[in-house]
Amino acid sequence: MALADFIDSLDTLVDDAKSVFGAAENEAALEEARVEFLGAKKGKLKAAQKGMGAVDKTERPAAGKRLNEVKGQLESLFESAKSRFGTEAAGADDTFDPTLPGASFRIGKLHPITQTIEELKDIMGRLGFSVAHGPEIEDERHNFEALNIPPEHPSRDPLDNFYLACAQQGQDGNEREQTGGALLMRSQTSTVQIRVMEKTPPPIRIISLGRVYRPDAVDATHYPMFHQMEGLLVDEGITMADLKSVLRMFASNYLGGDVEVRFRPSFFPFTEPSVEADYLWNGDWIEFGGAGMVDPNVFKAVGYDPEKVTGFAFGLGVERLCMRRHNITDIRNLYKNDVRFLHQF
Amino acid sequence: MLVSSKWIQDYVKIPIALDELTDRLSMSGVNHEGTEAVGDDFAVDLEVTNNRPDWLGHIGVAREISVLLDEPLKFDDPQPKEDGPDVESLVKVRTECPDLCPRYTARVIQGVKVGPSPDWLVARLQAIGEPTINNVVDITNFVLLECGQPLHAFDLAKLAGPEIIVREANKGESFQAIDHKSYDLNAGMCVIADSNDPVAIGGVMGGEHSEVSETTTDVLIEAADFAPLSIRNTSRKLKLNSSSSYRFERTVDPQMIDWASRRACQLILEIAGGKLAKGMIDVGEPVGDRDPVELRYAQVPRVLGIDVAHDETRQILTKLGCHELDHNDACLRVLPPSWRRDLTREIDLIEEIARVHGYEKIPESTNVAMAVSIRSDADRTLELVRRIMTSQGFDEALTRSMVGDRDNALFSPWSDEEALATFTPMVKGESNIRRSIVPSLLNARRANEAIGNATSELFETACVFLSRPSQLPVEQRTLGVVSGRGYLELKGIVELLAIEAAPSVSLLVRPLDSTGLMAAGRACEILLNDKRLAVIGEVSATAAKQAKLRSATTVAELNLELLFEVAQPLRTHSALSPYPAIERDLNIVLDESVRWASLESIVRAAGGDCFEQLDYLDTYRDAKADGPNKKRLLFRVVFRSSDTTLTNEQADAFRDQIVDRIRAELDGRLLAS
Repeated sequence: MALADFIDSLDTLVDDAKSVFGAAENEAALEEARVEFLGAKKGKLKAAQKGMGAVDKTERPAAGKRLNEVKGQLESLFESAKSRFGTEAAGADDTFDPTLPGASFRIGKLHPITQTIEELKDIMGRLGFSVAHGPEIEDERHNFEALNIPPEHPSRDPLDNFYLACAQQGQDGNEREQTGGALLMRSQTSTVQIRVMEKTPPPIRIISLGRVYRPDAVDATHYPMFHQMEGLLVDEGITMADLKSVLRMFASNYLGGDVEVRFRPSFFPFTEPSVEADYLWNGDWIEFGGAGMVDPNVFKAVGYDPEKVTGFAFGLGVERLCMRRHNITDIRNLYKNDVRFLHQF
Repeated sequence: MLVSSKWIQDYVKIPIALDELTDRLSMSGVNHEGTEAVGDDFAVDLEVTNNRPDWLGHIGVAREISVLLDEPLKFDDPQPKEDGPDVESLVKVRTECPDLCPRYTARVIQGVKVGPSPDWLVARLQAIGEPTINNVVDITNFVLLECGQPLHAFDLAKLAGPEIIVREANKGESFQAIDHKSYDLNAGMCVIADSNDPVAIGGVMGGEHSEVSETTTDVLIEAADFAPLSIRNTSRKLKLNSSSSYRFERTVDPQMIDWASRRACQLILEIAGGKLAKGMIDVGEPVGDRDPVELRYAQVPRVLGIDVAHDETRQILTKLGCHELDHNDACLRVLPPSWRRDLTREIDLIEEIARVHGYEKIPESTNVAMAVSIRSDADRTLELVRRIMTSQGFDEALTRSMVGDRDNALFSPWSDEEALATFTPMVKGESNIRRSIVPSLLNARRANEAIGNATSELFETACVFLSRPSQLPVEQRTLGVVSGRGYLELKGIVELLAIEAAPSVSLLVRPLDSTGLMAAGRACEILLNDKRLAVIGEVSATAAKQAKLRSATTVAELNLELLFEVAQPLRTHSALSPYPAIERDLNIVLDESVRWASLESIVRAAGGDCFEQLDYLDTYRDAKADGPNKKRLLFRVVFRSSDTTLTNEQADAFRDQIVDRIRAELDGRLLAS
């Protein structure tokens, strides 16, 4: 076939399409017409395209070019014919429901305790406190002795602690010495204070966060494993006013707004003076945690000179903060790991 | 401790409302737990910290109130008339264990009439929920609650001898207490015995045999001091707590021992009649003098951040009962009162000054110096791990650090050493300190299945505890994962963690033999620098059944410490090639036994300088065409040069190198490319 014949056939196709598209009375008829001319398998354009094989090889590029032009013409004829039926219906496909739910992507949640801890770290970090870690299995020196808790203190009672029942301790003197006494699951994060001060000269500005263990019977407010945050600042010239200021900045940051802090006298072996710190929230005084000035005996135990440095320490229960913040009333929920619970945060 | 508001007012005037008083007490360290009306009286519940046993009696609380309100404290010094014979002629007392009982005193009253207590005494005791028994017993109880010194009254006629021997209990000795229960005593416990048997567990509880009853006529009043640690051990071992043991554990005021004894005798004479024997038997050390404590005034602002006037400082300490020895412009020296054994150091005095002066006077806006706070790389990497896990749809769980025997035996990918264990289980049956997180997470998954949660994809980052001989155990921060996804998906996530944390590390994957938990041939370990970074596997049908899991489960555990070591939190740019990549797909027929890991290492080694990437595509099998035990691995290799556009011919040559090596080393045959 000569190129001219091929082009003729294409031109005829365009003319036919113009009249058929124009004659379509409704969208369905137009769609039929579209299939007749532009259908991917049996459309007239497709059929005409086959004629290109008969065109002389040297003329094929020109034929191809024309074919593409015709295709474009047919498409624009169709589009303009379609526009007669109004723009609203244009392209609408009744079988598609755009209100169906989007594909669901499941992202996991961080545990609310982790979220609380991360926030505490973040706030304390901005106040210049770095995070320090210490072991969860501790010896008596770090859990008690260096913290000024003498052997007769009630908190050392074997029934109030998870002492380890391993053969390695207590059997021969060397081993005991090496580990600093019997081992137990730490009952407080204050142990980390001792470990840091033993290794580092002042100034110290740290927080330690983590799991602590005490044999409490499980109920709505007690669990034998929980989390504490402990803060420690030691330097020359640190006073209780600095403690109050840091706690106020912390509470203001955590709760938002300017929060008032008060101290009530209390007792902890490792601080003197010792206080309970409360913050004023929505008109109520809420217990924040224990605090105080580092006891001189603690400084002596780690080789600091209490005549040179002073410092403060504070500790709080992470569960309590987390539960209050998220309106969780039963501590057991935190450790059931029900994914419905975890997905609320 | 419960106090009666009327009783307190026997010793101090309270010119303010009770609510205000309890607020003031709370702010001075006696926490107010609640107040309850009892008739025309109020029972006030006060929480007393361990360092203040002086508050464990009404006089002690009244003393604090007198300091707070500046009202005088008044209580008498009882001087009961001694009309009877010499006490030494009536009974003998001997102490064999002064370390357990440093002081023992006894007075004797003959001819008492035991009966009900008078109304005023009943009212006092009932207001704070104390039972009434008979006048003599009630009086000893009243005096304990008045001054904090425990007393005991014995029926003298029931004491063999009559003799009192304070001694250590004999092993296996049994004792019938006034609570009608029998206790097996042991060495280290202090007993009060007559010539035959124990008649009381010293400082803890009296005996049934010698208790004061309607038939009693002669009573012996014991007022003593017992060693706190021994008392606590005894009451713990016997599971026997009494208001006496509670006070002795926290130490009593040595000066009040004699006072309490005289007070009780005075009341008995008044209420139950009788004649008091002359003198008191007093065995043990006399009360030693307290050491004076020095306070340097400059230390007050150094600790508190505020100055307190010297005069006020002196006044506060004096009001609290300290006896001022001397003072000058720089310091003062005081002798603390006998009821304040907690005051031995300068810092103890500073606390008292702060407490009474008022913590509200300490400012809360000092300029705390700025400091650099450093976030560790490990912390950043841990956060990355958590972020990736949540982004992949895993929820973070928190499970207990201790497990039961079965969970302990189920899985231990990091150590063959036995698990450490505690004497006391964390919850029933859980006393092994865990060596792996996965068993705990499997329990959490089961709990979720039980409640009908279709999806429970859980992870936890926590320490596992690996015992070492003669050293503190290794605490390895570890990631545990349980999932309902396929093995390769979970493996992909573990690999993603490693690649995201440390893009330039190379990982080696090795199939893992069955671990008991994991199904045979469906587990692997990932090695990093020859150390195990992670294990991944499918839970075997047996293990799933044992763990009561209904759905198919995959598990993984990853050593975070190792990941922290190699993590690259800071990334650097390296120049990118401006030239296009060229790919070659390969379809290789191999023995079924050939593992991808082997193929991969060959491809990487043989890929040449322009090798960029290797992607696994699929595995097919066509036994007809390839013969038995053969498989086809389809994969794509991507090449790119940093200084030229690679041609098809070059890419083919690279591919052929790879194919040759596969043929030589794995007997693999290229099927098509």
